[in-house]
Amino acid sequence: MNEWDSYRVQDFIPFSPDVYFRLLARMGETFWPLQLVTLALGFIALVLALRGRGRLALLLLAPLWAFVGIAFFTQRYTDLNWVGQYLGWGWILQGAALLALALTGYCCAGRSSIFTGATMTGVLIALIGLLGFPLLAPVLGVGWRGAEMFGLHPDPTAVVSLGILLIALRGWVLWFLCLLPMLWISLSALTLQVLQAPWWPVLFAIVAASFGGLFGKSRPDVRPG
Amino acid sequence: MEGKTLRRQFLKMLGAGVVSAWGFPGLTSAQSSALLSKPIPSSGESLPVIGMGTWRTFNVGNDPELLAARTQVLKAFFANGGGLVDSSPMYGSAADTLGFALKQLGTPKTLFSAEKVWSPAGGTTREQVASLAERWGVKTFDLVQVHNLDDWQEHIAVLRELKASGVIRYLGITTSHGRRHDEFEQVMKSTEIDFAQMTYNITHREVESRLLPLAKEKGIAVIANRPYDGGSLIKGLKRREKVPTWATEAFDCRSWADFLLKFIVSHPAVNCAIPATSQVAHMNENMTAGRAPLPDGNTRQKMAAYIANL
Repeated sequence: MNEWDSYRVQDFIPFSPDVYFRLLARMGETFWPLQLVTLALGFIALVLALRGRGRLALLLLAPLWAFVGIAFFTQRYTDLNWVGQYLGWGWILQGAALLALALTGYCCAGRSSIFTGATMTGVLIALIGLLGFPLLAPVLGVGWRGAEMFGLHPDPTAVVSLGILLIALRGWVLWFLCLLPMLWISLSALTLQVLQAPWWPVLFAIVAASFGGLFGKSRPDVRPG
Repeated sequence: MEGKTLRRQFLKMLGAGVVSAWGFPGLTSAQSSALLSKPIPSSGESLPVIGMGTWRTFNVGNDPELLAARTQVLKAFFANGGGLVDSSPMYGSAADTLGFALKQLGTPKTLFSAEKVWSPAGGTTREQVASLAERWGVKTFDLVQVHNLDDWQEHIAVLRELKASGVIRYLGITTSHGRRHDEFEQVMKSTEIDFAQMTYNITHREVESRLLPLAKEKGIAVIANRPYDGGSLIKGLKRREKVPTWATEAFDCRSWADFLLKFIVSHPAVNCAIPATSQVAHMNENMTAGRAPLPDGNTRQKMAAYIANL
């Protein structure tokens, strides 16, 4: 038997559903009511991006990526999965990259019509991240304090950021900065599939829609001058 | 004089666990309801036939509620006469969870602690063993195995030194999912080891052809991992099927746990199966499967055919 043929996704997920979902819920309960502030910051960042103030939007996203990298991945997730340490560093570096772009304004897109494909895709993805994830709380049987929220939990943070990046950035930097959010969302979808969480296909759909937005924004005729 | 010698030999055999019970050579049980055990070939020490795995189930981080729940699972394991607890540094916080639970329960004398060292070795074997012992809260491990044969030559050399100095009592190698069986076989043939851990269950029987006979021939104890094929096997059976009545008549099979675990531990070369669970009820069910009677050779064939035809 070829050794690699014998591996399945579940061989790389070393925890059970109750453990993972309790980790997410406990993260929320620990930091309550911080997530109300981060959720508000998410809406503000989306509005800023739509108004052409992409640099300010990125400035709001940057510390939240570093926070999730430290508080979720290196301090909690890594207890369950040694990969968490590396993911944590990835999230911190993404936060640093967002901060650098916010300070330099490099490849920021400026104001564009909301009716372009990439922008509409970005808004839709960001709203799913801001509003959809908290609504999973009743499905999982946890209170609102334990709900997954932008700025505190990795899935909604990555999803909302992806949407805002599609609006606020352009060029190769847009592709580069979308890489980690898309990678994490894909990893999370696979994890949720193994844990038999029924919403995992939505995450793959978000990644697919993001690719659509990226390709749409990369077409020369719609690229902002 | 001759009578005394015979009596002494009998008592020695009893102590080593080499007593035939219910027609199964090597099986011992103090009473009909007690957990069956088999001797470790390299020492004769008795080991209960049902152990406990910790993959996924004991990786709970620092969640107090789940730590308390897993402590109850371990408590049920020991209350049922369990011995071997197997873990790995790849199982996240499982070693810490075991340390927490053992601190709450006290470390019972029946504990047979089994850990693993993994890649990269790079001169870290001793450190890996010391770090894991600290996390478990034990001074020594009964068994340390080389995880999936990773850097096995370097690890085995150091484990042999640790065994000689009494830091560990046994050493072994592991594989799972049918991986690297050719290399595994070569190591079993060429290297002095006490234990070999491999995947063996009623739907994955590849090891019956070469590895299990070789273990028997070389006097290597066998630990069977993934007895429920990662859980999917028993979940599927419980959902769809009832335990066949012929199995109940043949070996008092009451549950699918009985059916699947008794099939494994009734193989003459297998010492111990290590199902993993996070629930006390399932633990009790698993441990019941370690009690007599076990299926004989003909019944085992019937069991395998029955599952294959489902």
